[in-house]
Amino acid sequence: MIKRRRILLILTLSLLGAYFVYNYMYKEHRNIKTETSKIEIAAPYLLERFKTNDAESLLNTTITVIGVITNIEEGTITIDSSVHCAFNDKIIGLNINDSVKVKGRCIGYDDLFEVVKLDQCSIIK
Amino acid sequence: MERRRTFRKLIYMKLKIALLVVSLAVSTSFFAQGKYSTKSGEITFEASVPSFEEVKAKNNNVSAILNAETGEFAALSLLKGFRFKVALMEEHFNENYIESSIYPKATFKGKIKDFDFLELSEKKKEVLIIGTINLHGKDKAIEVPAFVSMIDGSIAIDMSFVLKPSEFNIKIPNIVSSKIAEEVNVSAMYLLKK
Repeated sequence: MIKRRRILLILTLSLLGAYFVYNYMYKEHRNIKTETSKIEIAAPYLLERFKTNDAESLLNTTITVIGVITNIEEGTITIDSSVHCAFNDKIIGLNINDSVKVKGRCIGYDDLFEVVKLDQCSIIK
Repeated sequence: MERRRTFRKLIYMKLKIALLVVSLAVSTSFFAQGKYSTKSGEITFEASVPSFEEVKAKNNNVSAILNAETGEFAALSLLKGFRFKVALMEEHFNENYIESSIYPKATFKGKIKDFDFLELSEKKKEVLIIGTINLHGKDKAIEVPAFVSMIDGSIAIDMSFVLKPSEFNIKIPNIVSSKIAEEVNVSAMYLLKK
């Protein structure tokens, strides 16, 4: 009787352990769309912060950028010639000179083009 | 009288310089093929070991510029932009191996050997790109064979090469070293627009 109970206990524990290990190893990707933004910032000001090395705390965080679209290329838009936003899906219904509010993950400063890059973006407004 | 003459001479000189500058600007822009660039180049790398989990990531937001006159080529990829299938792998890549908060970007600067804009066509032409890769704070000189072609007025470049983490001082702990290949296959693809 005791032996059987012990076996059962070990079995449930190991199953539980396996469950947690599996969950840890195959946890979900972040969903930037549903995360809340750390800050809301105007596009040129965000660029300025990266140029003056005052933006390390924003790397890999979800932020919201406000400005006017200056360029559209397949799957990406540029806001105020200073922030480059890449979307997961195709962009529909956006035009150059539209005012937008975009949420995305800040991946860093591109000093070749002098723009800040965001990925996994979504349009808020 | 003398003063007026020198004054006039000065004006002539200024005019000449202005003319020279204008004609130079016009002539260079006339002959220049200019710069071709993209902000959405693709880099994929794979370090999978057979029968273990696939170690593969892709970055769709790589910047690159080609000077079509000289063949000079530069590319920059933000390492946080590499996406893995497994979220934990992405986390480990950023935090433990590539240390993307300390070294946020990888760059390449170099030149396409014997580049001739006028020879470009729809047919892929094999070229050699010679330059330096900077990754994880380390520089490495590299020669990469690549293919260049012209598609609808855009220049397409694709290449693949092998990098070793040890060359860039990237340490891979013993526990996982059997699951990550020692040689990492990298491939890059750019469609550069004017």
